[in-house]
Amino acid sequence: MQQGTIDHVQEGLGTAAEGGIPDFAEIVRAHQGMIFSLAYHFLRDRGLAEEMAQEVFLELHRHLGSLESSAHLVFWLRKVASRKCIDQNRRRSFWPKFRLDEIPEPEAKTRETDTLLSGALGKLVASLPEKPRMVVVLRYQEDLDPAEISELLDMPVATVKSHLRRSLDILRDKLARTVGEIAL
Amino acid sequence: MSYLEEDLKAALRRVEAPPDFTARVLERLAAPEAPKRNWWAELALLLRPPRLQWVALSVIAGTVIPIAGIHEREQRRMEGEMAKQQLVYAVRLAGSKLHHVQKKVFEISQTDRHL
Amino acid sequence: MKIGFYTFMLLISTGLTAYGQALDLKFLDRLASKASETANVSLDGSLLQMAAKFLSKDDPDEAKVKQLIVGLKGIYVKSFEFDADGAYSESDVTAVREHLRAPDWSRIVDVHSRKQGENTEIYIRTGGKGFGGLVIISTEPRQLTVVSIVGKIDLDQLSDLGGNLGVPKLELEKTKPTKKDD
Repeated sequence: MQQGTIDHVQEGLGTAAEGGIPDFAEIVRAHQGMIFSLAYHFLRDRGLAEEMAQEVFLELHRHLGSLESSAHLVFWLRKVASRKCIDQNRRRSFWPKFRLDEIPEPEAKTRETDTLLSGALGKLVASLPEKPRMVVVLRYQEDLDPAEISELLDMPVATVKSHLRRSLDILRDKLARTVGEIAL
Repeated sequence: MSYLEEDLKAALRRVEAPPDFTARVLERLAAPEAPKRNWWAELALLLRPPRLQWVALSVIAGTVIPIAGIHEREQRRMEGEMAKQQLVYAVRLAGSKLHHVQKKVFEISQTDRHL
Repeated sequence: MKIGFYTFMLLISTGLTAYGQALDLKFLDRLASKASETANVSLDGSLLQMAAKFLSKDDPDEAKVKQLIVGLKGIYVKSFEFDADGAYSESDVTAVREHLRAPDWSRIVDVHSRKQGENTEIYIRTGGKGFGGLVIISTEPRQLTVVSIVGKIDLDQLSDLGGNLGVPKLELEKTKPTKKDD
C-alpha cells in the first residue's frame, strides 16, 4: 500500500474515533484487493468472494469507531475475513455447487509466472481442509509469519507451523500428479 | 524459500476486486434496512440450508403451521418453497456425488490404459 | 464389482424406472446428535409434485431439475457432517448396505480414495420391468451421506446437474493483465 494511502486511512480512522465521518470509501478502496483476494483464494468462487468481501466491509463500517490505527484496521480486516471465509466454506461444503469449469483466474501473465501451474496450485490450495487452507493463504498471499497467523486465527503457533508443513507436503504430492495431467 | 513456496506466492498473489466493488459496498450501506419478517417467514429462513438441522417437511407442514393458524394459501406457498429448496439440494447433492464418481472412473480408466 | 469406464457411461445413460419403496434410513437419525451439520430430506410423490410447481423455468438449474424429476416417485437424503474423525462407525454404513443386499440391488460402482479416506458407492435396483432405484453412499472421515432416489431418473442429466456435461477435462486458464492492489 502506498504511504499516501496509509496516511489517508489513518486520518480517516482518526476522524472516526473523534466521532466524525471518515472517508469510508477510501478505506474500502485501499483494502478491497486484500480482502477480495483472501476470499477468492480461499473459496475459489468469485461471486462468493465478492459477497464475503462486501460483508467484511459492512461489518467494518459498524466497528470503525473502535479501531485505533491503520495496523489495527488491517489486523481487524484479516481476522474478520478469515473467520467469515471459514464459516462460509462450512455452509457451502454442505450445499454442493460442484463445477469443473471456473471463471478464468484474474491473474497477470508475466514471464515469471507459469499460468497453468499457478492455476493448478490455486485449485489445490482450495482443496486443503479449511484451517490449513487459511494458514497457507495468509502465509503466501499476505506474507505473514506463523506468529502473526497464530494471533489472527487464535491458533497456537505450533499448530500453524504444523499446518504449513503438512500442507506443503500435500501440495507437493498433489502437484506432482496434477502437473503430469496438465502435460498430457 | 523452496520453489514450491515461491510458486505459492505467485499463485496466491493479490488480485483486483471487481471494478465497482466500492460502489456496491456503499450502495448496500445506503440501502434501507429490510422490513421485519413475520415469524413464519423467519421459520422458513431458519429451515433453509445451510443453517440448522432440518426436520422432515411433513412434520413442519403437519404441525407447526396449522398450530399457528396461518392462512391456507400462505401455508401452501411456504410448504412448496421449502419442498423446492430441499428438492434442489437433494438433486444437486446426488448429482455432485455421481459426477465425482464419473470423474474418478474416467481417471482410473485412463491410468489402466497407460499401464 | 469392477466396471469399465464405457460400461459405466452406458449404464448412466440409461434411464432408471422405479418400483418399490424407499430405503428406511431412520436408524441413522441418532447420528444427528453428534453432527455439526445435518440434512434430512424426505420428499415422496405428493411433496415432489408440490415442489415441482415452485421450480422456475426461468432459472436454468431449476428448469433442469424440473425436467429431471418427471418420473421420480421419491427422493431421500440423510447427510451428516462432523467436527472430528470417527464420529460415525463402519457399522452405521454396513447397516445401510444391509438394505441393499436383496438380489434386485446391484452395486455398479465403488470408488475409494485411500489418501483422502473417501468412498462412494452407487447401487441401482433392477425391478421386473427394468431398473428400480438409485442409492448413493458417500463416506469421508467427517461426513456421511446417503441419497436414495425412487423412480425414473436419467443419470446423465443428474450428473450434469452436479458438474459438466460429458467427460471432465482440465482447462487452460485464461488470463488478463492486472495490477496488484497495494
